[in-house]
Amino acid sequence: MKRIMYLLGEALSGMRANRTSMMIGVVTTAFTITSFGVFALLYVNLKNMVGEVQDDVQFIVYLDEDLAHDRSQAIKKQLQSESAVASLFGTTQKAALEDFYQQFPSESLLLETLDENPLPASLTVTVRPGFQAPDTISAFVANVKALEGVQYIRYSQEWIDTLSLFVRYFELVALVIGCILALATVTIIANVIRLSFHARREEIEILRLIGAPSHFIAIPYLVEGSLLGMLGGGISLVLLKGGFEFFRLEFNGSGWFHGIDSTLIFFSIQEAVLLVIGGLVLGCGSSLFSVYGVMKSR
Amino acid sequence: MIQLFHVSKCYGRCAALNDVTLRIDKGDCVLLTGPSGAGKTTLLKLIFGAEFPDEGQILVQNRNVARLRASDIPYLRRTMGFVLQDFKLLPHKTVFNNVALPLIIQGASTFDTNRKVKEVLAAVGLGHKYSALTGGLSAGEQQRVCIARALVNTPMILLADEPTGNLDAHLTEEITELFQSIHARGTTVMLATHNNQVVEQMKGRIVQLHSGRVLSDQEGQV
Ligand SMILES: Nc1ncnc2c1ncn2[C@@H]1O[C@H](COP(=O)(O)OP(=O)(O)OP(=O)(O)O)[C@@H](O)[C@H]1O
Ligand SMILES: [Mg+2]
Repeated sequence: MKRIMYLLGEALSGMRANRTSMMIGVVTTAFTITSFGVFALLYVNLKNMVGEVQDDVQFIVYLDEDLAHDRSQAIKKQLQSESAVASLFGTTQKAALEDFYQQFPSESLLLETLDENPLPASLTVTVRPGFQAPDTISAFVANVKALEGVQYIRYSQEWIDTLSLFVRYFELVALVIGCILALATVTIIANVIRLSFHARREEIEILRLIGAPSHFIAIPYLVEGSLLGMLGGGISLVLLKGGFEFFRLEFNGSGWFHGIDSTLIFFSIQEAVLLVIGGLVLGCGSSLFSVYGVMKSR
Repeated sequence: MIQLFHVSKCYGRCAALNDVTLRIDKGDCVLLTGPSGAGKTTLLKLIFGAEFPDEGQILVQNRNVARLRASDIPYLRRTMGFVLQDFKLLPHKTVFNNVALPLIIQGASTFDTNRKVKEVLAAVGLGHKYSALTGGLSAGEQQRVCIARALVNTPMILLADEPTGNLDAHLTEEITELFQSIHARGTTVMLATHNNQVVEQMKGRIVQLHSGRVLSDQEGQV
């Protein structure tokens, strides 16, 4: 008990004695973790968006004009019997026109000048979750396209594919950047701890003389490093949350991001905790690195 | 308890110890004397594992100090108390915390720590300086804190390098008595000193060093 109190006390007094470099350490750690956090946040949101898009993969089957009623019914039946189809929603030519009027009232004149309804009847197909892999869908879409009476199919696969590819690249970039930033953090914390260690080398010599094993000597520095990293992680979390809310407020309704701002998400609690723990692990690891490096060289 | 076989230690060119062979049994009281620079401190440091011999073997409690792994040295040191010539105290810590440190390292309970520290501080006559900062103490007081720290975990071997170097005649007598009583408890005591008063009072085995060699090794009288 006394030993634990002593070790904690040493760590705290060490931090106090070495205030300036500790501050620098915390600030730089916070900065690097924040930069990483920005990337992670972007990644989380992108992934979320892709997930949302992929959640209800739909394509619209436009039917030939003047298709016989029973043919369109046949197509409908066939699609319904497919295992890949979760639901089917038919729109007649008339309904399509009404939809159009409702959505674009100002353009209604455009259509009224025409005698015929130019809008095709369509079937909106929602794909069942198990069949949403890009390859499966494109094969299925190709099949449907080949059916007699199908005019064309609107399917935004390319866009989704590009997005998920982008996410995958982003994952890689985030990983690389994360590694570089982690390395920078480790270097900085390791040096802060080395300074702290150096400032107390006489004390360490005394501890050795009265029979303190290496781990006993190292623990206060490990605690120091861990606290430093955790503090950095915590500060960066606050910065990220602040920045995130600011961004959301600032761009809310500004058109450009319209529709996106409602789907923006912040880290979940687990992810936030992970960020702070990441700081702690970085701090602890780098002081381990530095303390054992110094001890070995003695 | 402690055995040295043909031990030599050089610092650069000059030999601090030259072919020293010594045998110290359990319960012995050895007084190391000799002029300044004779190698007294070096000898004690070798036994303590603070320095490594260039030649020869050193056995302490049947363990070869020269071959001990670095990670085992702390455990060897816990069985010994060392009063250093240059105290090596932590000036920013209180007397209590300085003396308690060996116990804290060993993970003693708070209760034991408090009891033992108080006991040993009373024995060196510093009971009243309990919570003073060590840095503010006089040299004599610091020396006694150092002695208290060496005694606090009741070591099997007590090594003391000039433990009375900063004390007046009266305190020297008291501290010497303390060493005598520690010796009487069965602790092996090894004491380096210039002080004839101590040598006379202790009545131990006297090992005289000169330029790194054992000049004489006699029981009892000067
Ligand atoms: N760390 C060192 N580096 C270089 N030389 C050293 C070192 N320690 C001791 N010496 C040399 O070794 C010799 C013996 O030193 P030592 O400290 O053992 O003497 P001593 O008997 O303790 O002297 P004193 O009575 O003054 O304390 C001296 O000549 C000293 O210069
Ligand atoms: Mg000396």
